[in-house]
Amino acid sequence: MKMRNSIDIFGIGIPQLRAIVAEGLKGGNWCDLYFEQTVYNDLLLRDGAVASGGFHLDYGCGVRVLDGEKTGYAYSESTDFTSLLDAARAARSIAVREGSFGVSAGAPVPPQLYAMKQAWADADKKALAAWLERLEAAVRTREPRTLKVIAMLSWSQSDIMMYNSLDELTEDSRPLGSVTMTVIFGDNGKTEQRSVSRSLRCGSEMLGDQLLADLAVEAVTGLDDSFAARRPKGGRMPVVMAAGASGILLHEAMGHAFEADFNRKGQSIFSDKMGRRICRKGINILDDGTIPGNRGSIRYDDEGVPGQKTYMVQDGVLTSYLHDRISASFYGVPPTGNGRRESFRYNPIPRMRATYMESGPDGSLEDLIASVRKGVYVDKFANGEVRIGEGDFTFYVNRGYLIENGRLTMPVKDINIIGNGPKALADIIAVAGDLKIDDGTWTCGKEQSVAVSCGIPSVLVKNLTVGGE
Amino acid sequence: MITREEILLTRECVGYAKAEGASAVRISLTKSIENLVATLDGEVDKVTRCADRSMSIALFADGRYGSFSINKLERKALFRFIREAIETVRMFAPDAFRKLPEPGRCCRTAVNGLEMGIYDPAWESVTPEDRVRMALEAAVNGHPEPCCHPGACPELVEGRSEGSPFRLVSEEGEYSDSEYDTYVIDSQGLECRHTETSFDYGVEVTIEDNKGNKYSDYWWTAAPFLKDYDASSCGATAVQRAAAQIGAAPARSGRYNMVIGAEVASRLVSPLLGALNANSIQQGNSFLVGSEGKKLFSEGFTLIDEPWRKGESGSKLFDSEGVATSTSPIIENGVVKRYFANTYMAGKMGIKPTLEEAVRPRLCGWPSAGLDRNALMVMCGNGILVTDFNGGNCNMTTGDFSYGISGQVFENGKSVRPVHEMLITGNFLELWQHLIAAGSDFRPCATRLIPSLAFSDVDFSG
Repeated sequence: MKMRNSIDIFGIGIPQLRAIVAEGLKGGNWCDLYFEQTVYNDLLLRDGAVASGGFHLDYGCGVRVLDGEKTGYAYSESTDFTSLLDAARAARSIAVREGSFGVSAGAPVPPQLYAMKQAWADADKKALAAWLERLEAAVRTREPRTLKVIAMLSWSQSDIMMYNSLDELTEDSRPLGSVTMTVIFGDNGKTEQRSVSRSLRCGSEMLGDQLLADLAVEAVTGLDDSFAARRPKGGRMPVVMAAGASGILLHEAMGHAFEADFNRKGQSIFSDKMGRRICRKGINILDDGTIPGNRGSIRYDDEGVPGQKTYMVQDGVLTSYLHDRISASFYGVPPTGNGRRESFRYNPIPRMRATYMESGPDGSLEDLIASVRKGVYVDKFANGEVRIGEGDFTFYVNRGYLIENGRLTMPVKDINIIGNGPKALADIIAVAGDLKIDDGTWTCGKEQSVAVSCGIPSVLVKNLTVGGE
Repeated sequence: MITREEILLTRECVGYAKAEGASAVRISLTKSIENLVATLDGEVDKVTRCADRSMSIALFADGRYGSFSINKLERKALFRFIREAIETVRMFAPDAFRKLPEPGRCCRTAVNGLEMGIYDPAWESVTPEDRVRMALEAAVNGHPEPCCHPGACPELVEGRSEGSPFRLVSEEGEYSDSEYDTYVIDSQGLECRHTETSFDYGVEVTIEDNKGNKYSDYWWTAAPFLKDYDASSCGATAVQRAAAQIGAAPARSGRYNMVIGAEVASRLVSPLLGALNANSIQQGNSFLVGSEGKKLFSEGFTLIDEPWRKGESGSKLFDSEGVATSTSPIIENGVVKRYFANTYMAGKMGIKPTLEEAVRPRLCGWPSAGLDRNALMVMCGNGILVTDFNGGNCNMTTGDFSYGISGQVFENGKSVRPVHEMLITGNFLELWQHLIAAGSDFRPCATRLIPSLAFSDVDFSG
């Protein structure tokens, strides 16, 4: 796809960028500008027809001034020179000391991560609507108990331009396509709901026959078990987590506590554990912004730092936090490309990208299940949450099974699992060799919403609290 | 505030959309300014100024519908945007139920936006220096006697058996004030406006006990008028809540009475309001399908929508369609009285349209007015007091729920030890049948006026 030059999109030149940053530097030692134009489109299929949708244009520029670790931030929805100068003056009110232009250390230009065979802007909307209708038909064909299908296709294109007081100008053009489908099934007066999704940074080529079939199959697989599922008796027990979406455990229970802002402020339960063993040898946990096409991938973060792959835990030892420029400066380490923001309306903070654990040496999922006398196996999750200070986390299980004497028995659903991050990490006693990254529409809500993804191989956690009757 | 020129431009856009072939159009213009000062450990950490304008356009053309928004409000760009939007609408499937609300249902009383009495002209005179001062004054760390030791604030650990000291690891405070203005116009002659100001403070603290265990908690306040803004006790309350968790452990799994504090009780009402929304009911994705007119809950459960509470944040004369709001029961003595159905969903379901959603629901005190959390604990005798949630979810088709909680075990009406890492599980239809009592201690600064609540026979596991 041919991209318009960012300078043209935002209608501002290098001399003006320098003048705005110089204005900001009158009140700090760092200034950066974040220009964004995002066009978001959606189509909604409901009651058998794509009868609504729309598009939304969001445009503006955020100006950030830093005085050490203190932040001044303002934004303008107009990118004319005068408005941005005003924003720079508002942002610089954080401090009185004056900075100056620095010199960029230079950074390698990161590779293109967003394969784009068919730009969304060039796609025929009628064809996109027809794809949603075929998706509904595929579900109904596979499962006659289907009552309702609601499917939404959304796509966005964000053109980003960043400039900072190191005289660095970077740009990124980020596509994001997402399909979400909720299906209501009915059987003898009982209803069941399934939600499935895919989200990728690529063009409309993602809407192929394979994705259509995958989503339809995923929506109906194991439906009999879902109708039969009950809540188990609650209590503490071993939990086997299936590969893929169980990565929410890493995101909630550990990932947030590895974000450097929580550690810089002393709030994280891991704030005094750098360099120490926090889980068994052989476990590697990383946050990766470089997986081609992944929802959490970014060529540059929202501070102009190249996206990268960051190991937080290597061989069981805590080796790095996730940094933005502020925390990196505080700790005296290079930024890790985790400075992210929801839009130009927000200042960047340390955020995850694609967080996952590497495959381990303990065989297969079946081996893990076979090793448990009495516990729970979980494979479909809805959401999670963590309390940073205590490390307590929960996540909600849509689907799973009891494990009795090494075999899956009664299907279970609608249960919450609760634990403590460091304890759960230390209690991972087996890691299978089947890492899977989940491509669902995961969105992290720490102060601001950003697109992320997660993954994990099948793991066995020795002891977690499972909610039940 | 929205200017005369912006109103004229919005009117012009309605006319332009009609001229370009739209059969009907509704435009909502919103404009807001927010100023924020964040503190970290008693020092200014972040200063932010946010100024937003946005136009949301609901377009109807050739029996079709689409929704659009744009924040580039230049005339030429807007007209181009509207032309493209109409072209897009024409690609969708026709939908006979998409239309503007009947003019007779629409609000005619929100003329200048000030009718609800929640705009404070004093907002305009607040200076950046005032904001910094208010943020610093609210910080615990800014006090001459910081609450880093129970000796400084002995009441913070009152009632705890260990009485162990703790230190304040971190305190993040955030003062903000804002002005919000919205103007809604449609092609049937609707014009209404709503304007409000707000002064807010929120704080989150992390403390560490003498064993190195960390505990965090929060508190917040908000007021539409500067004269009513008082954040002086927020920091101490947050510290008190965090200190109350020192030594927390799961209680034995089982069925307990549950008292839930007013500060978090709204969490148990939100799924009911979601399930009463016609969007969910029409799709069969609601555990309250077919519930209108039926007695499903405890006799003592009465929930009333009171959108006209003058002088209180969140009160409003019209919904997002411009439909006039009114005071009306949602659930009365356990009987479901209404669904929330906008014009579109009501048409699809063949029912009378109401509002998009509840504006300012208030849960009434029962069995008598004037009860608070402590009274409910005394009434229950023994049980678990929930002061915070940690994650969880509700299956909207069945009403089954599971939530992580933390709080206090209470015996003979008094807190005896903190609990965490526990889950409550059940079904919302059953839970609300087990309502024992409802207090009258809701926080007026919250959008939903939900007091402390007491339930019997709740499943706790830990």
